[in-house]
Amino acid sequence: MAISTAARVAANTDPEVNERIRRRTEQSVLYCAGAGPRAVAERLAEVEREWDVERVIETEAPLMALSGIALGATVHRRFFAVPGVVAAMLFLHAVQGWYPLLPVFRRLGLRTREEIHEERYALKALRGDFAEAAAARGADAQKRADAVLRAVRR
Amino acid sequence: MAELIAPSTGRVEAHTADAVNERNRRDTEMRVRGYATRPEAELTRRLQELDAEWDVERCLQTGASMLTLFGTAMGATVSRKWFALPTAVMGFFLQHGVQGWCPPIEVFRRLGVRTADEIAEERYALKALRGDFDDVEPAAATAPGGQ
Repeated sequence: MAISTAARVAANTDPEVNERIRRRTEQSVLYCAGAGPRAVAERLAEVEREWDVERVIETEAPLMALSGIALGATVHRRFFAVPGVVAAMLFLHAVQGWYPLLPVFRRLGLRTREEIHEERYALKALRGDFAEAAAARGADAQKRADAVLRAVRR
Repeated sequence: MAELIAPSTGRVEAHTADAVNERNRRDTEMRVRGYATRPEAELTRRLQELDAEWDVERCLQTGASMLTLFGTAMGATVSRKWFALPTAVMGFFLQHGVQGWCPPIEVFRRLGVRTADEIAEERYALKALRGDFDDVEPAAATAPGGQ
């Protein structure tokens, strides 16, 4: 019943925005492929620090909720509705993927973890991490599995 | 405690007991070795399972939002003291967003809930086994700047 974890944000994003994010990832990989190993290494380090859309929501939502509670305690009880609304939206996001600020975050170019992984593993492939695994094609299965595991963990 | 604002990759693993990280690593390793001898259709099926798997962020979001909703409802109807619950939950959730740790992380991780990065490790290992990366040419071979 619940939507798949990998698809839940993209499924709730304007297809045009998904496409724009995809093209930007492609351009980055293309650029690094032409610019050589230094550019690949630098971009990999950047990608490891990149804030994905879940992390941004997990920072924004509690800030909103805590502000609501503080205002509820000091200004007017009505503000106590804020944590309720934020929590309801967060629950919806967790289960189904939608979130009121999602269109804004996605238009700002915030990527999902899966989109970031796509670039990260493309860069790893460009770096040659998978070369040994490719060479082990047709060799015995355990040798290939070992090479693959080394590749994803490099 | 590491940096105040942790880098995104590895921030939950950095706050997980070594034994639990190690167990997840070994499980992935065993599965990848197992799939190395199986037909492509089975790898593809496992890849679909991985897309559906709930990672630790999704579990935390669900738990934190339910507790906050409950606490807020009790605060509005029973006693204002109940607002301490959403305050604590959202405070820890904020800490999780920034640093990668909050109390339920311990529980979820021990229950075997994986991070999206751990899931991706298995996903891309299976893709590599399937041969998805077999005709990639490394950047070094073609770039003018390469060694």
